[in-house]
Amino acid sequence: MRRFLLSLTLGLLLGIVAGAVIGWLNPPAAARNSRLGDLAQPHRDDYAIMIAAGYAHDGDLAGALERLRHLEVGDLAGTLRATTERIINSGSRELGDIRVLARLAADLGGATPIMAPFLVGEGG
Amino acid sequence: MRAPAVISKGLFALGLVVGIALGLAITRLAGPLQRDNAEPWQLRHEHRDYYGVAVALEHAHRGDLTVALAKLISLRPATDPVTALAESACRLGGSGYLASTSGIQALRTVTQFTREQGRAGCAEELLPPITTPKPATNEEGKAYAEAQGTLVPTKPPLAEAIQSTRFVAPTQSAQRRFEAISLRSFCAVDRPAIIEVSVVDYLGRGLPGQPIRARWGAQEDTFISGLKGERGLAYADFQMDPDTDYSLDMPAAAEPVATSLRTGICYEGNRESLKSYRVVFAER
Repeated sequence: MRRFLLSLTLGLLLGIVAGAVIGWLNPPAAARNSRLGDLAQPHRDDYAIMIAAGYAHDGDLAGALERLRHLEVGDLAGTLRATTERIINSGSRELGDIRVLARLAADLGGATPIMAPFLVGEGG
Repeated sequence: MRAPAVISKGLFALGLVVGIALGLAITRLAGPLQRDNAEPWQLRHEHRDYYGVAVALEHAHRGDLTVALAKLISLRPATDPVTALAESACRLGGSGYLASTSGIQALRTVTQFTREQGRAGCAEELLPPITTPKPATNEEGKAYAEAQGTLVPTKPPLAEAIQSTRFVAPTQSAQRRFEAISLRSFCAVDRPAIIEVSVVDYLGRGLPGQPIRARWGAQEDTFISGLKGERGLAYADFQMDPDTDYSLDMPAAAEPVATSLRTGICYEGNRESLKSYRVVFAER
């Protein structure tokens, strides 16, 4: 009986450790099935900034909206406004990033006083 | 005489197999890969494609190839990052992405990027041909052609680029014309004194990003279609104040609706509310 329990327990423990290591290092297929809305916040910010930069390039507000929609947030204008304010407050991004974000947020009707300095000198 | 083995190989193997299964299950349920914590390389195909388009759009604005390549590499493509982007463009081109002007414009940006890096894909064949503008005969004509986006200027400074796109960008709203085809009042207790607007194209499909303007007295406010995702791409709304007459139009795209809009007391069943309106602007 002792031999039975020892063999099974030892195998089980080693197996759990091995399975956990394998699972950790080799993400399941589902892990490559994430959506843009599932991205970690810095990457979601990156995506929003890329879309805002695209808008600064082509002026296509409808296109920018359509692309932001992939982030699957309910209130796009509100979310973009909050993102822009958070980034301004944290000082975590470059000036160019903030300016394009602020412009897109403003053109979506979400300009706030904190964005004003980043909209100055752009024709109003 | 051999001493009996301390461990039974069969039972140990059985424990090992069950243990591995348990260990894998644990990482699936409580592993490091959770919602809101995903990395770009974990995106599903379709969303990797969207991410790639965003990278190309940003590159078109900033012109920083190193940053663009770093972001494409963060997707951990199976091939080289630019070829993977060309393949993304190809997939998008064949998936209805080109149904909108925005999609066409974005894929052009992507193909331009991949072409500059010496890669090509099927997207270039799927894109509609670019209409050639009439040659500009003077400075005004040249400026007009540039404003229409038919020439490819060198990248302007940020402020200039933003300024130019704000006033002369080739947006859909600048090119499209709309008219109010429907104006109805309704009474709803849960939606009092609201103007609900739908902006649709000539096929009746919702058009996001279209500005609608409400004017009253000497004041005005502009609101945009498509910002309330749960109400669809066409939807926009505006909250009215009592005792105020509102005029509604789409700046430079649609004439004001024929009558001014004013809220007042109404009844839904026997419950009192304030009158609301539903307006449809359709592309003509």
